[in-house]
Amino acid sequence: MIRFDDEALAGLPLPPNCPEPGTCVRYEQPEPGLVVLVLDPPHRKLAVLDLPLMRDLALAIMRLEDDRALRGVVITGRAPLEFALGADIEAIGSIDDPALVERFIRLGQDLFARLHKMENGAGRRVRTVAAVGGPVPGGAFELSLACDRIVLADDPRSRIGLPETKLGILPAWGGSQRLPRRVGVTTALDAILKGTLLPARPAYSKGFVDRLTPPEYLVRAASDVAMGRASCPRRGRGRVGGVLVDRNPLALAAIFVMTRKTVMAQTKGRYPAALDVARLVCRAPLTPLSVGFVEEARSAAVLATGSVCDNLIGIFKLMEGAKKLGVLPGGGRPAPFAKGAVLGAGVMGGTIASLMAGKKIDTRLFDISPEALDAAQLDHRADLTKRKRRRRIRPNEHDAALDRLNTTGDLASLAGAEIAIEAVAERLDVKRELFGSLAAALPTDAILCTNTSSLSVDAIFDGLPAPGRFVGLHFFNPVRQMPLVEIVRGSETSDETVARVAALAVALGKTPVVVKDVAGFLVNRILGPYMDEALRLYDCGVAPERIDRLAEAFGMPMGPLALLDEVGIDIAAHAAQSLHQAYGERMSPCTSIRGLLDEGHLGKKAGRGFYAHSGQGRKARRSISPVLATHAPPSSGEGGSLSDEQVTEQMMLAMLNEGARALEEGVCASAAELDLATIFGMGFPPFRGGLLRWADSVGAREIVANLERTAGRVGGRPGGAARFEPAAILSGLARTGGSFHQTGC
Amino acid sequence: MIQLSKDGPGRSIVLAAGLRTPQARAGGFFKKEDPGHLASRLARELLNQARLDAGEIDEVITGCAGPPQTQANVSRVIALRAGVPERVPARTVARNCASGMEAVTSACASILAGEGDTYLCLGVEVMSGYPLVFGPQMTGLFERAFTARSPLQAAAAWLSFRPSFLKPRVALMEGLTDPISGMIMGNTAELLARDFGISREESDTFACESHHRARDARERGRFEREIHPHLPLGAKRGARSADNDDSIRDQQTVAALGKLKPYFTKPDGTVTVGNSCGVTDGATALLVMTEERAKELELTPLARIRSWAWAGLDPARMGLGPVFATAKALDRAGCELSDMGAIELNEAFACQVLACARAFESDAFAERHLGRSKALGELDLARTNPNGGAIAIGHPVGATGARILLTTACELEQSDCELGLATLCIGGGQGGAVVLERTTS
Repeated sequence: MIRFDDEALAGLPLPPNCPEPGTCVRYEQPEPGLVVLVLDPPHRKLAVLDLPLMRDLALAIMRLEDDRALRGVVITGRAPLEFALGADIEAIGSIDDPALVERFIRLGQDLFARLHKMENGAGRRVRTVAAVGGPVPGGAFELSLACDRIVLADDPRSRIGLPETKLGILPAWGGSQRLPRRVGVTTALDAILKGTLLPARPAYSKGFVDRLTPPEYLVRAASDVAMGRASCPRRGRGRVGGVLVDRNPLALAAIFVMTRKTVMAQTKGRYPAALDVARLVCRAPLTPLSVGFVEEARSAAVLATGSVCDNLIGIFKLMEGAKKLGVLPGGGRPAPFAKGAVLGAGVMGGTIASLMAGKKIDTRLFDISPEALDAAQLDHRADLTKRKRRRRIRPNEHDAALDRLNTTGDLASLAGAEIAIEAVAERLDVKRELFGSLAAALPTDAILCTNTSSLSVDAIFDGLPAPGRFVGLHFFNPVRQMPLVEIVRGSETSDETVARVAALAVALGKTPVVVKDVAGFLVNRILGPYMDEALRLYDCGVAPERIDRLAEAFGMPMGPLALLDEVGIDIAAHAAQSLHQAYGERMSPCTSIRGLLDEGHLGKKAGRGFYAHSGQGRKARRSISPVLATHAPPSSGEGGSLSDEQVTEQMMLAMLNEGARALEEGVCASAAELDLATIFGMGFPPFRGGLLRWADSVGAREIVANLERTAGRVGGRPGGAARFEPAAILSGLARTGGSFHQTGC
Repeated sequence: MIQLSKDGPGRSIVLAAGLRTPQARAGGFFKKEDPGHLASRLARELLNQARLDAGEIDEVITGCAGPPQTQANVSRVIALRAGVPERVPARTVARNCASGMEAVTSACASILAGEGDTYLCLGVEVMSGYPLVFGPQMTGLFERAFTARSPLQAAAAWLSFRPSFLKPRVALMEGLTDPISGMIMGNTAELLARDFGISREESDTFACESHHRARDARERGRFEREIHPHLPLGAKRGARSADNDDSIRDQQTVAALGKLKPYFTKPDGTVTVGNSCGVTDGATALLVMTEERAKELELTPLARIRSWAWAGLDPARMGLGPVFATAKALDRAGCELSDMGAIELNEAFACQVLACARAFESDAFAERHLGRSKALGELDLARTNPNGGAIAIGHPVGATGARILLTTACELEQSDCELGLATLCIGGGQGGAVVLERTTS
């Protein structure tokens, strides 16, 4: 019995505009014996499996079970490419009581279990078919898995999968039990752990769905399957694999051990959902469904109320929020750019141009050096070839992207561009001259962006005509991998320009954050003190590998010294210098790397820095540079006596304090955006939810106390006291006991 | 007969702009190219240089003698890949070696018919991409095997296999053979050498001169205004764009040429691989429009088209095509061979050009074949192909017709003359000729 009465729902959050019972699921009977259930909640633009929808689905199922003539059921969405967006994330995120979450999950499991192997009023089996299309993530897919067959709309917009682990939870409405039964343990593990949503073709070939059909025929085809008019064998894994692997306890145990090892290596156990998934999925084929459901629900309840899940859901919402930056001031999305230009064919400019060409923008890449242009073109082709080989893109998409990147040495030939992004040498005079001629060559409604990382956007664009269209667009290196883009708003940049550039960033697959035109913008400004503290720790005798190990233990993807090697020590030194000039004493850089620099230890590009680098690609190796032992003897021996906590604290607090100052000055609009920038721009550990969320979890009072303690310890060195003097906003929060996120700063 | 004149409103047709890729020996640096990519990149660049919105084009016309089987209407592929809007149609035209010229004259005909006034014309050939094909026995086997109604039938089909079925047919060689006369192009040239008594030495001297002229032209930067560098598909990391024709032999000598064995008629023939044009990949793009339109678009035309003509002749002596076509084109333009300041006569074979030269100045030939009492006049070899010809820079079949138009048009200004002639011989026994007129002073 599925109950959605007051008792069952007690304590569970209902959406604010909860509609009347029975209104969320349309019940249609196009022919005798067939019922089509349409998920059509009036209170949502896109259907979400929230409590009202589940309640009405339960009502519909009960009605079906009384129907003696029923032979087939089709469950579908409002439109062929709109099914449902999965479980109600908001609701799950807002519950703090594990018992309550478990009850919520059990409700869904019971509901889907009724659908599974459904019988009509006369006791005969009813064939249930899910007719789905468009995005079918998480709960929506789990609902489909409970049906006898799944028919998916064959359309580029269709995406199906179980992305729950990305939010720190697991597919608990039967997903972790039914998917391995359907497609085999190995495929299911891979799909659930990665959490990617598969396009139609791969979903079909992996056996996620049983039939593909054009969206226009979706309901018709599903009806035929439900009524037995069309044969539609259940796909899934072959029998041999099923017997050898899924029914073989030894094989399952081996898979579990291997998976656990990989997961631990990748996440260091910080994402408990992955470990639970490995355990549940590997056990699934040998456990009865009902037992699996209980374990699944229990595990998910613990995960959903944990901090990791909260933080990951928080990030998910931030990303959704960031996408809204690409909306015009008057509402509506700007037309995508058709023609673009990139100036400077270095690695950065070349990659930006390559990304644009891949997104249907006719891109002309300008450089005065034909060698650089050819190299950029070849890099673009190599990337496309690789993606074609891996079947990420089809041959025609490969050709289209190939054709859309053209190179030129003639500035005048950029005349048709609607947007130009400059990525030339970081020199004010060079950039100003270039933008002078560019402004003359391009129409006045073309948007002009600079990809500067260290110069002032206002200084670059000062005095050029139509200043509203100039903006900073700061990509991070390596451009393909780094998901963040800082949109630097100059003093005269118009809202429309910001929106159009943000829309471009989103189209290029990046997450935009709008920042003020201050030195280092947001990310590099916060990163500066962190990296500098790492150098200072090294300088006072902490072993470099220990510094990096501790930063990684905190959750950073890479230690600060290894990162310095990646960036290039000369470039980092230059950046530190400009931060010092802008912010004065508290940014005074550590001078000990001078020696390394002078001897050409420039980092990875030179093959040596803090580490000795050898090999390329997969063969890349690094080991602590032997030079360090003899080089630059530590200026004081204090390092050896520092505890692990002190070392980590010194780096992270420096970062946090600068972040708080930036927030205070309004460099970005909110604490949430700052968190987003730290996660995507510098790899701040997602499970901690971002820099300020981490601070909130420690507590402002504690942070201030630690800052003061550290200030006392390092106060003697130049700028030490200034760097660790608690930012006003932190002291304020410490006094009031507030937090960054609650006060809504 | 259609009379082109600069006086009639909207009737005067110009080559408004043009570009070509470098031409590369087949199997050379364009080995992995396909016509769609090679020509579309060039077309995109031409449109950009001309500042012409691709939506303004009425049609894209491409000459290509052997489009790859994956690009049946290669013109449409090129147009769309070059960013020409979907609503603009595209056709592929073929007239063997003159396909690129046919693209231009087709555009002229369309303009005169009032169909449109702005055309993007291309000639392209990637001879590296010509396939080897299965013979009829093997295709027959496949057909039987794939349409078999029972496994037994299929097995029977496969059992009929003989290793000899696998002997490939070379599309390139078969394409260069005229099925009417049954002669491969080289042998039609041999026939001309015998008809006109052209010796091996004469041929080799001419071929050597072609290389030297091309070398000198390249050295003085003559090709820079024509060639747009191209970074070929399949280029390795660190490779650079090709910006020059790769088949020019700077150090070519008559002695070295003399050592080569005849290729087609062994052992006594005169045609060798050294005194024939190479098998080549390349593309040329031209904007053909009315003079008015060019003025509206603020383009400075390269040349005006004064007249054109196509002519047919004995397929076995197709090399004389230029003589037949030129006679008609000159009549239509109302001028003499001696008025031509710049001449491009495609060098299919050295002896073929020399045979044309003799036919041009022969009264007897004129009387017998051209129906006129007097010869057309002397072909001034000094003014013919002053920058070398196909023997040095290659002959990408479908592209050459457009290429010699571009070269002639640019040459008008270079050698400061009023009129120019671009003409070529066509496999299967035809000739094509276009008379160009200078537009700038």
